[in-house]
Amino acid sequence: MDVSVLQQYAPMLLRGFGITIFCWLFGTVLGIVLGLIIALIQRYSPKPVRWLLQVYIEVIRGTPFLVQLFVLYYGGPLIGLRLDALPAGLLGLTIYGSPYFAEIFRSAFRAVPEGQIEAARAIGMTEATIIQRILLPLGLVSALPALVNFSIILTKETVILSIITVPELMYQVQRMSTETFRYVEANLVLALFFWALVEAISRVGRKLETRITKHLIERT
Amino acid sequence: MFSIQTFLDSFEPLLWAARYTLLVSGLGIALGLVIGALICAAGLSRWPAARRFAAIWVSFLRGVPLLVQLLLMYYLLPVIGINVPAIAAAVITVGICASAYISEIWRGAIGALPRGQAEAAVAIGMGPRDVWGRIILPQAVVMSLPALVNELILLVKASSLVSVVGILEVTRASQAQAAMTFRPLEVYIAAACIYLAINLCLAGLGRYLEHRMAV
Amino acid sequence: MVQASSVEIRKLDKFYGPFQALKGIDLTIPPGKVTCLIGPSGSGKSTLLRCMNFLEEYDAGEVRIDGQMIGYDSPGGSRMPARKLRDMRRSIGMVFQQFNLWPHMTALQNVAEGLVRVRGFSKDQAAARAAEALEKVGLSDKVANHPARLSGGQQQRVAIARAIAMEPRLMLFDEPTSALDPELVGEVLNVMKTLAAEGMTMVVVTHEMGFAAHVADQVAIMEAGELVAVDAPTRILHSPEDARIKAFLKTYHERNAF
Repeated sequence: MDVSVLQQYAPMLLRGFGITIFCWLFGTVLGIVLGLIIALIQRYSPKPVRWLLQVYIEVIRGTPFLVQLFVLYYGGPLIGLRLDALPAGLLGLTIYGSPYFAEIFRSAFRAVPEGQIEAARAIGMTEATIIQRILLPLGLVSALPALVNFSIILTKETVILSIITVPELMYQVQRMSTETFRYVEANLVLALFFWALVEAISRVGRKLETRITKHLIERT
Repeated sequence: MFSIQTFLDSFEPLLWAARYTLLVSGLGIALGLVIGALICAAGLSRWPAARRFAAIWVSFLRGVPLLVQLLLMYYLLPVIGINVPAIAAAVITVGICASAYISEIWRGAIGALPRGQAEAAVAIGMGPRDVWGRIILPQAVVMSLPALVNELILLVKASSLVSVVGILEVTRASQAQAAMTFRPLEVYIAAACIYLAINLCLAGLGRYLEHRMAV
Repeated sequence: MVQASSVEIRKLDKFYGPFQALKGIDLTIPPGKVTCLIGPSGSGKSTLLRCMNFLEEYDAGEVRIDGQMIGYDSPGGSRMPARKLRDMRRSIGMVFQQFNLWPHMTALQNVAEGLVRVRGFSKDQAAARAAEALEKVGLSDKVANHPARLSGGQQQRVAIARAIAMEPRLMLFDEPTSALDPELVGEVLNVMKTLAAEGMTMVVVTHEMGFAAHVADQVAIMEAGELVAVDAPTRILHSPEDARIKAFLKTYHERNAF
């Protein structure tokens, strides 16, 4: 591809990349928080509530992210939820990730030996303290690999936001390619870029994983 | 507010389009199984070049978003002189993408077999063809079935992306229907229901297989 | 009477990276006799056994079955052709600690599989021979069961049937009773005794001192990759001279009196 073309589009592409990273971080963090809340509620609430949350989990996991975005972005206004593309995308990403994160936390909590929690109860800890001091630290350690893994999957899902016109990297690249007619080159570069990004994030993720795991094990 | 009538009316055209959702994901997984087997074999081969190729194949396809792969393939094929209908490009892309995940599923299943299984066969003098064909693969394939069903569920959802290259599957059909009726909420929820129904059936199948294996 | 092989092992070395698992082993396994390999875990006795059918590739020295070297063309030579190795292995039966039955096949299929694939039997011939072998280990009523539906002792007997159906001239047993519950050990040892009485050459890695004392013709004691002693069981087990053997047997007696 012509270097001058790249130069001309550089600011746009950079902005798109920034929005991609922003969406990814925002979606991952809020998705993890929402997922954690769901998992905790599921652990400590009566059957009907648990059942309702399970329906939510199955519905979100059983439908394509793109269709969820359409419901939110195009269908939302009909029930008074009028969102711009970017907020709709962020909300969509958060909702989309939450059930996967919830399931990760749920199985991580299950992996915490019952005896450890009973031991805490036996010395008179409150449930809140148990969650904070026993369940979360131990659960996080075993959840970490899966959390990192799903966060990486979310990186790739951000490109779908371009379909509802969130001006992230994919969107900018498509705009550039239609204006310059360089469809193949633009998408090839985009592919290579994502490949490098995902590989880099995986590597950082693995490092982070070993460090946090070590830290938590030493502390607990 | 939410109109039940519009919601129900949406199902007819969407169910019609569901054929293409099933076609793309069904052919996609079939192609993925074939290519995935080859990549898995390459990954386990004794030639370093083949192993390297398999590793790059898997890493690239798992690192690049399917939507990007789809557009790349869609634009690339005509440039390199292959003129196929969009649906073929879509199936090929979905299949190639799935092959990366499927080869990893199989590699995992083969790796999970105890070493003694092959050793017992080698010890009575079986050759590699029988060791693989009679002992390792039959067990690995059965073990991998639940994971493969899960992969199929992912493909059914991923097939919604082929709407961007103009294939009239459920998502594309719902866009058209929404534009026609001006009732996107009902139409898209109907589309979601169709995906959910397909995937719940598949998930049931997966649970059944897992249960049967556990016995 | 079965045809029985002899095994000659000369100056056998085996390395795992820098770790030497076998150090210049010399051992003769006479035909038609039972040889028990005993020693603490990690002493190299399983490794030595696995060199005898080349499941473990040795680095120096030689292992000869009836005078024919296994694994290599000649001492220090190149690997023997895979087909030749397979031909040699089909007359060497092996029984593993973990049974290694194939879970996707019934007991009968487990036994018949090798006959069809390796010996070229027809399906019917193989089934008939497999049924015979299973009868011999006392499992005629379990032919249609999958391994998951058999007890550990029954699984190990199927594994023995799988090996003897191939009409081996040498049988290798790698701790055949170590994975079994104590009450199931007897049935497996009984089958092995029957085989021994028929004049099969048997090499048995075991912790069952009673079996070694009563059934073995010779006992070889290993420690840290070396052969410490080879002799008749009465002499070795009841009046050991070497201090290392004494020490090993002492700790052994303390743990399981027999």
